[in-house]
Amino acid sequence: MNDVYLFELSSQRTAYLSARQTLIAGNVANANTPAYKALDLKPFSAVLQQASIDMATTNPAHLTPTAQELDPPIARENGDEYATVSGNSVDVEGEMVKLGEVNRDFGMATGVKKIFRQMFMQALK
Amino acid sequence: MADQDALGASLRIAGSGLESQSVRLRVISENIANAQSTASVPGGDPYTRQTITFENALDRATGASLVKVKDIGRDAAPYSVEQDPGNPAADENGFVKLPNVDILVELADLREANRSYEANLQVAKQSSDLMNQTVALLKDV
Repeated sequence: MNDVYLFELSSQRTAYLSARQTLIAGNVANANTPAYKALDLKPFSAVLQQASIDMATTNPAHLTPTAQELDPPIARENGDEYATVSGNSVDVEGEMVKLGEVNRDFGMATGVKKIFRQMFMQALK
Repeated sequence: MADQDALGASLRIAGSGLESQSVRLRVISENIANAQSTASVPGGDPYTRQTITFENALDRATGASLVKVKDIGRDAAPYSVEQDPGNPAADENGFVKLPNVDILVELADLREANRSYEANLQVAKQSSDLMNQTVALLKDV
């Protein structure tokens, strides 16, 4: 069962979706804040490909970069096409669409976890 | 547990949004209620329309970008003046200063505040829903 990494993957997926949910919440809360620029995460596949392999430390002087350093909170600004006179670029309707996406994808990730656990249990019983 | 932390942060953010929008609703209702409030002394200034501005506040504990009320200011727009010698607030020439509140503007603002409140409520609902989905994984184990 060494090749089984679906739990890890779906955990990364839910972590990604939770972070995205936080950014959406920040955008919606600041929908009327002057000069606030909307934030979003890069697509999950791009985030996943950035994740690198842990390097072995053969010498105490070797430094291992933390996950935070390797994978900075990648938040990019929305385009300025939505910016209003006050310099706010939040598109509330767009945020609601993203909210729906997060809801669906989160259900998918937790569903995968659930099914996968059932498969384990079938193998064990 | 990083998921739950992030979802908890999003709940807090949505909460701060709800709070700010309620303060905004309070300011709007004060403006509407006082749309006809003249001065208490003859020739004095009437009720001045209040304005509200928000600012982005970083929650240092979670790194979440909350929203808070920056300032409740006073609208500098001129008062409208009306000839009404019988009014107790009229000056010696019979002119009364009326508040610089435009009901239509206030109603439009009211609608916008309402929409923003709903959007924040939607986010809060979904965040707790996502948390519940994760907790539900522990059911029927």
